[in-house]
Amino acid sequence: MRIDTSIRVTGAAGQGVHTVGNLIMRMVVGAGYHFHVTQDYMSRIRGGRTAQGIRIGSDPVRAGREETEILLAINPDLLPHFLPAVARDGFALADVPSADPPLVAAPLGEMAARAGSPILANVVGAGAIAFALGIPLETADSILAADFQGDYFDKNRTALRLGAEWARDHLPERIRERFRLPPRVPATRIILSGNEALALGAIAGGCKFAAGYPMTPGTGILSVLAREGPSVGLVFEQAEDEIAALTMALGAAYTGARSLVATSGGGFALMVEALSLAGMMEIPVVVVLAMRPGPATGMPTRTEQGDLEFALSAGHGEFPRLVLSPGSPEEAFDLAQHAMDMAEAFQVPAIVLTDQYLADTIVDIDPSSCAVRPVRRHIVRGGSVPGGEPGKVLRYAITESGISPMTVPGEAGITVVSDSDEHTEDGHLTEDHATRIRMVEKRLRKGSMLAGRTVPPLVSGPPNGELLLIGFGSTKEVIEETRQILARDGRTVATVHLRQVWPFPADEITEIVSRFGTVLTVENNAGGQLARLIRRECGVTVDGTIPRYDGLPFTPAEAADAVRTRRGG
Amino acid sequence: MTEKYDTDVETAWCPGCGNFGILNAVKKALEATGKEKHEIVLVSGIGQAAKLPHHVDVNVFNGLHGRALPAAAGIKMANAGLTVVVTSGDGDIYGEGGNHFLHNIRRNVDIALFVHDNQVYGLTKGQASPTSDAGWPGALQRSGALSAPFPPLAVALALGCGFVARGYAADVDFTADLMLQAIRFPGFALVDILQPCVTFNRKNTYEWYGRRAVKLPPEHDVTDRRKAMDLALKWEETIPLGVLYRKEMPTFGQRHPQVSGPALCDRETPEEAIRALLRKRMTAAG
Repeated sequence: MRIDTSIRVTGAAGQGVHTVGNLIMRMVVGAGYHFHVTQDYMSRIRGGRTAQGIRIGSDPVRAGREETEILLAINPDLLPHFLPAVARDGFALADVPSADPPLVAAPLGEMAARAGSPILANVVGAGAIAFALGIPLETADSILAADFQGDYFDKNRTALRLGAEWARDHLPERIRERFRLPPRVPATRIILSGNEALALGAIAGGCKFAAGYPMTPGTGILSVLAREGPSVGLVFEQAEDEIAALTMALGAAYTGARSLVATSGGGFALMVEALSLAGMMEIPVVVVLAMRPGPATGMPTRTEQGDLEFALSAGHGEFPRLVLSPGSPEEAFDLAQHAMDMAEAFQVPAIVLTDQYLADTIVDIDPSSCAVRPVRRHIVRGGSVPGGEPGKVLRYAITESGISPMTVPGEAGITVVSDSDEHTEDGHLTEDHATRIRMVEKRLRKGSMLAGRTVPPLVSGPPNGELLLIGFGSTKEVIEETRQILARDGRTVATVHLRQVWPFPADEITEIVSRFGTVLTVENNAGGQLARLIRRECGVTVDGTIPRYDGLPFTPAEAADAVRTRRGG
Repeated sequence: MTEKYDTDVETAWCPGCGNFGILNAVKKALEATGKEKHEIVLVSGIGQAAKLPHHVDVNVFNGLHGRALPAAAGIKMANAGLTVVVTSGDGDIYGEGGNHFLHNIRRNVDIALFVHDNQVYGLTKGQASPTSDAGWPGALQRSGALSAPFPPLAVALALGCGFVARGYAADVDFTADLMLQAIRFPGFALVDILQPCVTFNRKNTYEWYGRRAVKLPPEHDVTDRRKAMDLALKWEETIPLGVLYRKEMPTFGQRHPQVSGPALCDRETPEEAIRALLRKRMTAAG
């Protein structure tokens, strides 16, 4: 039996929405099922509207769904916002005096008080949902035991039971039949958010220095690096501003430490001059840009893919860069390692583009899909340091590939000179025009080499047909599910997911595009930036863009509808 | 004069520039540390002062305007064994890089900062700097400098900087000794250096500084922060030279649990450590 159930937990910030979400997702995995969590929250510490969408499936779940079968409204004031999305055969729980279906009045507050604290209304609700899903309370207990001890554990356990008992006595039999998860043997899974996966990937990629200034939605990466980095000797420091963050990272990277910064659009804007410095000094560094809607402060806690063109062009002057765009936590783990490696191999800045949607998405993944690559260093050390004039090292030696052997300070017998001015091969500033030409060309040769190592786009669906959907980054799984929906309509649809947007895989895209009748990009922005990029790099014009720019992520059903509407139904 | 650190890079400074004296002092101080060339990194931003590292044969990071300090902090955090010295101008450190000046003092990173303080933007041809005297006629200050001058030593003291000193470009031996003390000081050490600009600053000349600069007497108590603050604010009549304040405190590297140990470049990433991080996020099988 195929299970596809969408649960939404909502409340004010501070009412424990995340606690419930965390409990439900772990219960579901414990029952042998899979989940996908999306986070919808506001820029405030208390109050407002926070929601978690938890979509449960018998197969791994990789996108959210607008329509909800089960709604838990910890704060009933939010019902007008969320109730309309509840399916006819679903139900909603809220602490209201009386209600008509699909809303069911549940005395969450009263039960919470009986369990020991009014704040436990969220756990009471989780107990009711656990009952509806048919999840044994022992499974829930073991999850609670991991987070709470002593009195706290007892109160949570009581609240959970009160909620379950209430559901047993008050939820219609029809609901229990509809949502019960048939028993399954659970498999070992890894629970990861996009941010977590990216941070762990960076650590796996040998990251040893990280700096940042807190900015939603990039902060989660810094949190993981600060917490988990020490186990591999990583130094983390919160910088005074983003300019300092990237410049500190460049200082550390100049000494040979693999370094990373993470931020969002506004912080990235401040980092731009240091990005250019990395280009000039040829210092490897990884910059994570977790996008949110702009311009300026925009919508701080929401999602958008509006900084694609900014990431491609940020930094004064011409220099090569790598821009990667993972589409899932697994890809984030993998591409963060790749970014660390490539940045050092080519001595370039590598930007990893994510967004709030991917950053905050949590899924359960197969442990075997987290491949750990061995860290291969590209820095010249000890006896391998090139000789020549005593003490002289040509840090910027002109080579055929453009890549000069990277030496680091502290190496006995040599000194390393790096300058933000145009410089000679030994790193000293120069205003000689012939040298300028040689250095520009050397740097650009690295870009050509980099293009030869492009991570290819992923193609899914038939080799040719009527419609091709192209996206980059976080939309990967949404577009894939959209394809499946449209295929059920009888359409021959294929998708392309770009894991790397620079250097742009122009040859592949040009070739694929030619095999389809209609080509659309699906982008979480208003301007169709990927469509413009394809036009510029491939010389082909795509037929249009399915945009979304309200600050929320796509859902497959909605994207499929947009395609249908666009094509005249 | 020592030739150990000479490079073949030509200087771009005006004849008589205070930078020559500062360069000689830097070389003397570095030689006195007994460190090898490869153990030293000179970091600078942009400006005529910031070109100094090119004339000293050590490791050099000549970065962006205002950003010498964060680069230096990153270098020191990543390789605590390196001797890291920042040498740059007043506009660079106190103006464009003001925020980094404030916060790296708070951080107490173990670096020495030498500020060539000529109270003018020389390379861009004579605009007011943060330390320009009030009313000073800058190229872009048609009514004279309207902002109050930035008091670097007082700001450093207010932030709890553990080594606060003032040197004078015209007195190389004296300034070299201050620099040596600053390099040896464990923690953030500031040496603000009076530096005549012979081309664009016709007020604060060798003669002007010469009449005011007075070395602190040997009996000056370098542990007295209030006294140091009084001295730091003196300017128009006398300008105290020497170490105003000195107090050792745990450095950033001593307080940060991961900084000590091998240089970050030499640290391994064992696959097992990564597997352990992934296992922490694993759920149990049935």
